[in-house]
Amino acid sequence: MELIEHPPILRVPHIPDQVLYMWIVMAVLVVVAIVATRRLQLVPHGTQNMMEVILEQFVKELDETIGHDGRRYLPLIATLGLFILTSNLMGLVPGLVAPTANLNTTAACALIVFFTYHWIGARKQGVIPYLNHFAGPVPTLLKPLMFVIEIISHCARPLSLSLRLFGNMMAGHILLAIFFFMMGLDGMLGWALSGSLGGILIGAPATLIMVVFVVGFLLPLKILVALIQTFIFCKLAMLYIAAAVEETEHH
Amino acid sequence: MRRTVTLTLMAILAAPGMAWAAEAAVGDLPKAFAVLAAGIGFGLAAGLCGLGQGRAAGSAVDAMARQPGAIARIQTAMLLGLAFIESLVLFVFVIAVILLFVKS
Repeated sequence: MELIEHPPILRVPHIPDQVLYMWIVMAVLVVVAIVATRRLQLVPHGTQNMMEVILEQFVKELDETIGHDGRRYLPLIATLGLFILTSNLMGLVPGLVAPTANLNTTAACALIVFFTYHWIGARKQGVIPYLNHFAGPVPTLLKPLMFVIEIISHCARPLSLSLRLFGNMMAGHILLAIFFFMMGLDGMLGWALSGSLGGILIGAPATLIMVVFVVGFLLPLKILVALIQTFIFCKLAMLYIAAAVEETEHH
Repeated sequence: MRRTVTLTLMAILAAPGMAWAAEAAVGDLPKAFAVLAAGIGFGLAAGLCGLGQGRAAGSAVDAMARQPGAIARIQTAMLLGLAFIESLVLFVFVIAVILLFVKS
């Protein structure tokens, strides 16, 4: 990756990039939360208004997916969603790193979801009935088979959850890097900045065209991908929790 | 006639590649096969994903046209389905990246 990608602007020795930038995301979110809740008003404006609009979307989705009991899980889902959204959008700024473009970060998020929904399910209906539900409504003879299949499918969930987010962010980075690399942006920019006549006549317009093309076509696509991946991560987490909670109701 | 011309052109275009490949040392072979596997594998995955996503999106648009009232829910289901189909391609993508950047 070092070959085609510019190293990030801020680096601290002995600390991996994704950890450093994760701390930055956390600091940004904490500051925004403090600013938004410092003076709570009945008729919100400014930061409080913005955060309320964002959180209302989470509440709406939770109500739709899990039902009236869904707001209990708002802290978990909204924290994950805001963290992932901020990290994804941070990757669009040149020179910054998206923490979610690293498998360690996304795997951490996915494992939190994995353990949490099992914990919620086991607490709601007890450990033995919860394990019993893995076997499903099939004849007793088939139950061991179903149990093994269900266990495998549950183990595949954090895998696909983490790899989907990581792959999308990573693919966007590599796409952008390869576009700049193959269009020869470095050479053109160097030519334009060299001060020669050819550089000013050809190099500068070429650089401008490349930047306009990439900013105009690829960045909107990446913003869309960042938003959709956040939505899908949160929606899948909600669906898993809903599946763990729902099974209690008809028993 | 046209086929002959096409085949000749293909042979001419492929000749430098073959000559270049013949010069490659035996030690480079695993790397060459890794690059080939990454390209062919990702091409297959992307093409088949296009077929699958096209079916999914087409059915979703069909359903939206029949039931304009349920557009929001259909859209959510479609996005989830597309994400599931896409995640398989992303598995292949991760493997392709590993193959490309592996040090042989």
